[in-house]
Amino acid sequence: MSKAYFNYAGKRLLQAIVVILLSYVFTFVVVSILPGDPITNVLNNPQNGFTPDEIKEIIAAQGLDKPIPVQLWNAFSGFVTGDLGLSMRTNRPVATLIAEVLPSTLVLASAGLAVSLVLAAIIAYGTQFLPRRFGQGLLRGFPSLFLSVPNFVIGLVLIHLFGFQLGVFRVIEPDSFWATLFAAIALGIPISAQIAEVLIANLDHESGQDYAAVARGRGLGQMRLFVMHLLKPSSLPVITVVALTIGELLGGSLITETVFGRNGLGNLVQRSVSTQDLPVLQAVVSLAAVVFVVVNLIADLTYPLLDPRVKLLGTQQRRPTTADDSSLPISKAVTP
Amino acid sequence: MTLASISSNPRATLIGRLTGLRVPLVVILSFLVVALVIAWSLAPGLFTGYDPVNGTPAQKLLGPSAAHWFGTDHLGRDLYARVVHGTASSVASALIAVVIGVVAGGIIGLLAGFFGGWVDTAFARLVDVLLAIPKFLLAVIVVTAIGFDTTNAAIATGVSAVALFARVMRSEVIKTRQATFVESSFLLGGSRWHILWRHVLPNASRSVLPLAVLQFGDSILVIASLAFLGYGDPPPASDWGLLISIGKDYLKWPWLVYAPALVTIATVLSVNRISRWLRKTD
Repeated sequence: MSKAYFNYAGKRLLQAIVVILLSYVFTFVVVSILPGDPITNVLNNPQNGFTPDEIKEIIAAQGLDKPIPVQLWNAFSGFVTGDLGLSMRTNRPVATLIAEVLPSTLVLASAGLAVSLVLAAIIAYGTQFLPRRFGQGLLRGFPSLFLSVPNFVIGLVLIHLFGFQLGVFRVIEPDSFWATLFAAIALGIPISAQIAEVLIANLDHESGQDYAAVARGRGLGQMRLFVMHLLKPSSLPVITVVALTIGELLGGSLITETVFGRNGLGNLVQRSVSTQDLPVLQAVVSLAAVVFVVVNLIADLTYPLLDPRVKLLGTQQRRPTTADDSSLPISKAVTP
Repeated sequence: MTLASISSNPRATLIGRLTGLRVPLVVILSFLVVALVIAWSLAPGLFTGYDPVNGTPAQKLLGPSAAHWFGTDHLGRDLYARVVHGTASSVASALIAVVIGVVAGGIIGLLAGFFGGWVDTAFARLVDVLLAIPKFLLAVIVVTAIGFDTTNAAIATGVSAVALFARVMRSEVIKTRQATFVESSFLLGGSRWHILWRHVLPNASRSVLPLAVLQFGDSILVIASLAFLGYGDPPPASDWGLLISIGKDYLKWPWLVYAPALVTIATVLSVNRISRWLRKTD
C-alpha cells in the first residue's frame, strides 16, 4: 500500500465517477434527442387507452412539457440523489420496478458467470494436459466456435434437447433449479470463450518463458509445472477480463431471459422498449453502467495488490499479457 | 517452397506441406461459405424456385426432404427459400454496422491519437462512456430511439461498435506516429494532414482490417439478436434472427430453429476464421 497506489486509486475513483455521470447524460441524450417521441408513440396511441386528462397528468408528472436541458437537469439531479423517477407506463417508482426483478437477473447473471469460469478453466487448463495433435486442437477450437453461436440459439437448443426431448426441466417453470442452470449455461458459453481465449494465450506465453524451461530441465512433470508455476501467473490477469465481461453478462441476460421466459431485468427492458417507457430504460442503462464501472474499478484496484509484477511507481505500468490491449479500457488511467 | 527443398528433405516437407495445405483448406472453405452467402444475397432467385412469402398451407411443417431442404414452416413456406431470401438483409445490415463502426470509430481514434492533448482526453471519455454501457443494451436503446426496422438495428449495432474501433485506431496511430519514417517525413516538411493521410492512416488500417472482418461476424450475431427480440423488420421479412425467433414457437418442429441457426453459425464461423487468417498473414 504505497503512496503510488493511493495516487492510482484516487485517480481511478475520480475517473469512474466521471464516467458514470457522463454515461447518464449520454443515455439521456440518446433517448430524448433522437427522433422517436414517446408522447405521440405511446400516450396518444388509442390502444393504450389513456384519456386526454391522464395524458396531461403524465406529461406534467414527467416534466415532458419542459425544454430538454431542464428535463435533463431534473433527471440528472434525481439520479445523483438516488431518485430514478416514475415509470411512464405504470406511474410507479422506477426503483421499485427494478427492485422487483433484480434478484432474478442477479441469480442468472452470477450463475452464468460461474458457468463461464468453470468452462473456461476446463478448456484452457485442459490444453495443458492433452496431446498437441489430437485433443488439444479440439479444445483450442472451442472458443471460436462458442463465439460464433448466438446465445439465444444455445438457449433454444438446450430447451429443445433438455426441456422437450429429455424432460429434465419444464419450460413453464422458468425459476426452477434446472431451468435456471440451463439458462446460465446458455448465458455463460459465449462469455467462457472470451475468458478461455485470454487464459490460453497467457498459458502459452508463460510456458514459453525461461523459468518454465528451467523447471522442465530440472525434470518437473507437466502436472507439477502447471500447478506450481503456470497456474498463478496465467490466471491472475484474467481478473481484468472477467470484469470486462460484466457488460456482456448483463446484455446477454436480456436475451436469455426472453428465451427462457424468466421475469427479470431483461424482461423489464423489453416491456419498456415496446411501450417507450423512457425513465425505466434510462434507469436500467445507467444502472448497468454503474455496475460495469464499479466492478472494473474493484478489479483494477485489487489487481495491483494481488499481482506483484504490476508496478505503479512512476509512469511505467507493466501488465502481464492479456489477449489484446484493447480489452483493457481503463488500465491506461495510470499513465496520463 | 521450391522443388529442391522437397527433394532434399522429403519427410519434413511432407508434414510441412500437409500442415501448409491444411490451414488454408479451412480458410478456402470459409471463403466458399462466405461466397455462397454473398451469392444468396445478390441473386436469391437463382438458388431457389420457392416463394419466400406465400406458402402452400397443405404442405405446412414438413420435415427436411429433397424437395424442401430445410423443411417448411407453419404457413407451408419453404424454409430454405426464406433463409436464402433473408440473406440480403442480414448481410447488408451487418455491413452497414461495420462501416459505421469503422468510419466513426476510425475518425475518433485517428483524431484522438494524432492530435493528443485535450482532443484525446475528450474522446477518451466518450469512448469510456460507450464502453461502460453494455454493448447490447446500447444497441437496444439506440434502436428504440430511432425506431424498429432492420436498417436501424444495423445503425444501432454500428454505434455499439464505435468504441472498439476508436480504441484500436488510437493505439495504432500512436504507435505509427512515433515511427522514424513519420518523423523524417515531418522533418522533410510534410504537413500534418499529409502525414496523417499518407503515412499514419494506411499503416493503422492494416490492423483495423482483420478487426473489421471479425466485427462483421459479430454484427451478424448482434443484428440477429435484435431481430430475435423483434426490433428488426416485422414478418414476412425473413432475417435469420427473425426466422429463429419464429421457429422458437414451433420447437416440436426443431428444423425451424436449427436450419437458420446453422446457416448463421456457419457464416459467422467462416468470417471469424478468415479474420484470424488475415491477422496471422499480416
